[in-house]
Amino acid sequence: MEVVAINEGQSLIRMENVSTAILKNIFLHVKKGEIITLIGSSGAGKSSLLMLLNRLNDPDEGTITYRGQDVNSYDIPALRKSIGMVLQSSSLFDGTVEDNLAYGPKIFNEWDEKMGEELLQNVQLPTSYLQRPVDELSGGEQQRVAFARTLANRPDILLLDEVTSAVDLKNVELIEDFLSRIVPERVQAILMVTHDVAQARRLGNRTIFMDQGKIVEEGKTSDLFANPQTEQLQYFLKE
Amino acid sequence: MAPEISNLSMFFLIFFVLIPVSLSYIYALGLSGSIVWSSFRGIVQLFLIGYVLTYLFSLSPPIGISIMLAVMIAVASLHASKKGQGIPFVRVIIFGIIVGIALLILAMWLGFDMIDFQPDQVIPMSGMVIGNSMVAIGLALERMKSEFRESRGKIVAALALGAQPQQASTILIRKIVKAAMIPNVDGLKTVGLVQLPGMMTGLILGGVPPIEAIRYQIVISLSIFTSVSLAAMVATIIFYRFFFNKQMQLAEMKNDEA
Ligand SMILES: Nc1ncnc2c1ncn2[C@@H]1O[C@H](COP(=O)(O)OP(=O)(O)OP(=O)(O)O)[C@@H](O)[C@H]1O
Ligand SMILES: [Mg+2]
Repeated sequence: MEVVAINEGQSLIRMENVSTAILKNIFLHVKKGEIITLIGSSGAGKSSLLMLLNRLNDPDEGTITYRGQDVNSYDIPALRKSIGMVLQSSSLFDGTVEDNLAYGPKIFNEWDEKMGEELLQNVQLPTSYLQRPVDELSGGEQQRVAFARTLANRPDILLLDEVTSAVDLKNVELIEDFLSRIVPERVQAILMVTHDVAQARRLGNRTIFMDQGKIVEEGKTSDLFANPQTEQLQYFLKE
Repeated sequence: MAPEISNLSMFFLIFFVLIPVSLSYIYALGLSGSIVWSSFRGIVQLFLIGYVLTYLFSLSPPIGISIMLAVMIAVASLHASKKGQGIPFVRVIIFGIIVGIALLILAMWLGFDMIDFQPDQVIPMSGMVIGNSMVAIGLALERMKSEFRESRGKIVAALALGAQPQQASTILIRKIVKAAMIPNVDGLKTVGLVQLPGMMTGLILGGVPPIEAIRYQIVISLSIFTSVSLAAMVATIIFYRFFFNKQMQLAEMKNDEA
């Protein structure tokens, strides 16, 4: 199945034959420097897959390794910090934008007030927003605060679940630009779930198409879109 | 001297039962049976407790008090633990929490010389502390279930950022303790203005001058405030962990709907 030759030294995440109640026999290999986009219809299991990597859930079968070691061997909070996830529903904590940004870093005693402004710039929000209560923000703004909140933890790998679905086009472009600039220096790899097929195409080096809990097709993003192999993907792209 | 209600007068209480029964009949509420049954049951329970208390008051204080407190706390824990079905050792834990609170409050009463170590003082006063702690724990358990459901997203977000379950539940603990305190804060604001608290009423009927009765009422109101806040806090701090599994994930909740 793998088209690209694997350089073991660069291997970050490996899922081997992973199954849960929802996912079936998932094989996935994430290498340093990759932006992988995940597409598929609603209920395909995209969010469920990301949650396994952040250990918000565990597989019933199969193994997941991170930097060559079983994920079970890592301290769970440390692993969740290192493989940071932005959840599909932003679920901000009550309080100000700054309270939200500081939440993760404070757990690990890494919060520095200077971080706030830069984080907001990363997600295209004005720095004056730091002291605003989050329940006064628009949906798209809340989504970006949730994204910045995960960035605040300085993750090595980013798992993004629909982080720009409520954001306006101009800002989506700027955020996409930011994402492609941070790999691989600031973040070593990104796995991004998106309903926006054009976005998956623009941002991905590699794309995975899921359906009914399975990985149906995967490959270099340009190949996958130019030449979809399965009927399911052809049908999905036509919609 | 306390006034007495004669047997004949007590007999006329039948009217106090007949009125709701006939209303239930007229409006077809279908409650006649349960009104009669619960009135009967209430009467029998109170008569029994009257005799039991008479007997306990006649024992030496340490024995009478210990027996009665143990029984009250056991019944209270059984009752409060219904809200926590599925949680391991829930009865034992709640029993422990209430014992701790009752003893703490009792120690303060005795230590500050507010009451004497006599069954007729300790038992009714502790009864109120125990009863209110029971209600507070039950409410905390219920609220915890609903908060864990409603704030699921926030808890998961906190975990995803690397929070330990204990850190992630701080969000809820604050809410739950606050919810337990608010009725007491509100109650204290209107105490005595809207209706006289039960204990004060009892003391006044028993012939205690109002200015004395309020002293007891102040002691008990503030003691209840303390015990209710403590009960809600301790219960939440102990029980939050049963909503998580060992992998620091939200456990699938059984008996989700109560
Ligand atoms: N907590 C849960 N308990 C039981 N089933 C769940 C749970 N969460 C999701 N599912 C089910 O698992 C399947 C996959 O869900 P998942 O959220 O992974 O899909 P998705 O690909 O992310 O969909 P979407 O694009 O709508 O976000 C769905 O059928 C969903 O109903
Ligand atoms: Mg999803």
